[in-house]
Amino acid sequence: MYQYSEQDHQLLLERVAQFRGQVERRLKGDLSEEEFKHQRLRNGLYLQLHAYMLRVAIPYGLLSSDQMRTLAHIARKYDKGYGHFSTRQNIQYNWPKLEDVPDILDDLAKVEMHAIQTSGNCIRNTTSDPLAGVARDEVEDPRPYCELIRQWSTFHPEFNFLPRKFKIAVSGAIHDRAAVAVHDIGLRLIKNDGGETGFEVLVGGGLGRTPMIGKTIRSFLPKQDMLTYLEAILRVYNQLGRRDNLYKARIKILVHETGEEKFRELVEAEWEKIKTSGLFIRDEDFAWIKGFFKDPEYENLLDQDGNYENLLLSNLDFARWADKNIELHKQSGYRIVYLSLKTAHQPPGDVTADQMDAIADLADKYSLGQIRTTHRQNLVLSDVKLKDLPALWEELAALDLATPNYNHVTDIISCPGLDYCALATARSIPISQAITARFDDYDYVNDLGDVSINISGCINACGHHHVANIGILGVNKKGTEVYQLTLGGSAREDAAIGKIIGPAFEADEIVDAIDKVLSVYLENREDPEETFLTTYRRVGQPLFKERLYG
Amino acid sequence: MALQVYTASLLKEGLVAYLTLENGNPSWTPDIRLATAGTDSELEALKLAAEQSELENHVVAPYAIDVLETEAGYIASTKREQIRASGPTIRLPQDAVRASRKAA
Repeated sequence: MYQYSEQDHQLLLERVAQFRGQVERRLKGDLSEEEFKHQRLRNGLYLQLHAYMLRVAIPYGLLSSDQMRTLAHIARKYDKGYGHFSTRQNIQYNWPKLEDVPDILDDLAKVEMHAIQTSGNCIRNTTSDPLAGVARDEVEDPRPYCELIRQWSTFHPEFNFLPRKFKIAVSGAIHDRAAVAVHDIGLRLIKNDGGETGFEVLVGGGLGRTPMIGKTIRSFLPKQDMLTYLEAILRVYNQLGRRDNLYKARIKILVHETGEEKFRELVEAEWEKIKTSGLFIRDEDFAWIKGFFKDPEYENLLDQDGNYENLLLSNLDFARWADKNIELHKQSGYRIVYLSLKTAHQPPGDVTADQMDAIADLADKYSLGQIRTTHRQNLVLSDVKLKDLPALWEELAALDLATPNYNHVTDIISCPGLDYCALATARSIPISQAITARFDDYDYVNDLGDVSINISGCINACGHHHVANIGILGVNKKGTEVYQLTLGGSAREDAAIGKIIGPAFEADEIVDAIDKVLSVYLENREDPEETFLTTYRRVGQPLFKERLYG
Repeated sequence: MALQVYTASLLKEGLVAYLTLENGNPSWTPDIRLATAGTDSELEALKLAAEQSELENHVVAPYAIDVLETEAGYIASTKREQIRASGPTIRLPQDAVRASRKAA
């Protein structure tokens, strides 16, 4: 992990002191809410439906065990004993008091964390592949590039008041686990014909009320040019992005209205002016950053273990968990473990303080002291020895973190919805819980295979419903919460925006509707290996529509 | 005109509060049933009191909401305001974990 320099520490301490002063002035009445609002948002503090909400940045989803313990401490001391992991790989607290926030930021600063740029019209937390550095399908580890972007974008004076918020994602693998195509900028590490590694650059992706897939404006960008090219894109956006209409201010609208070709020309012209500037990434600078992400000293282990294999045969629950929540690791004798935050009991992404502490202990005991957060609102222990899996599973099961459902129908992304959010128009968490309760039969879930359901409680689409195989959008229709279904979306390398299938369903109808959609899939798939998305793309909407509305 | 009450967020805590006005003295309660409701001129008095509370930094962003009068007191007319008045409609995680362990 990146370790803060003295300068980084100083920067955070000064920022906390500055915000402490702003809070004191607000509480004394020296600052009005209008004046203070901009300051609090710059520090990740929203005023939500029931209380203040503090969003804490987790850079590219990477956490140390000590950082996780601090998150637990904050949940326990200043909140109601839990936190919510978001689709931006961050954590949100739903109940902090304004007067406590400076102390929370102080505690975060001690473990090199903060809430800076988790809100406002600036460059937000860069997200990435939760399997970065350990995935077998990796072209190159994206984390050093993410760290470079973090350092470049933090307090960047030119991009502190953009037309609208700005989100960047970086993937370094063949399979996209970071949803790069639906970000303002998506970077994919690829190899060119000459075997050199560089970036495919996508711009103008996004969700919300106008969902769009990003356009590739450069098919290969040398790695050393990453920051100069990002700077060029941001400059074009900062200058030409619309500031007169909130709903047309994202870069996706600029790219759409300008046209892909013209936008590319504008960026390339700007880039020509700055490509040899100080932001050009020199080999020695990159080597220094990369040093923070070098491989741990893995043991030389066989990729087999007698106890593990015996338990696979003798314990059905363990076998199910191993089948669903474990991935192969690039290193022999190690595995990647998904901790499911999707149970029938807790809202998707929510973790109690006690669970956080226990996860930190498990990370120390079994996974080199690190935890990753995923944009699908789960956690990952990335470096677990094969021989430790049985013991880890037992401990996870006791914590209710071993539901075998990763990338399956109950691994639901859900925004907080009307239960917490001031912008929401319908509840999403109760719908996700009703779906989870309905589809609790492992054999059925297993038979359905790889299928995603995402739920948003309003058109802002924080639950990524547009890019789910089955998307659910909650809206308010004449005072009643109703739920619109979209089918055929994907957030992966075959990214697609789902299409609305027809009129919305009432809350007590939506789970039956999902059941019907899944039945149509099962009846029409060519074989059990054909996924929901492949079947949907092959047969199209009519069969689904007929079953739902016929 | 519908019966309305004034609601806002408490500045220090951010928590939801409702305005009560007794003999011209404003105070804020977390219980919507105890709020002071009004229409027309009564509402104007509530609005002035809410704005004064905002100026004095007790509350943030006051606004009026429609309510219905019941035997138990006032309840909000819309789902959004009902949830805002009573809290999340789901179990908070630590309660959910406790319940699931008890059931197991």
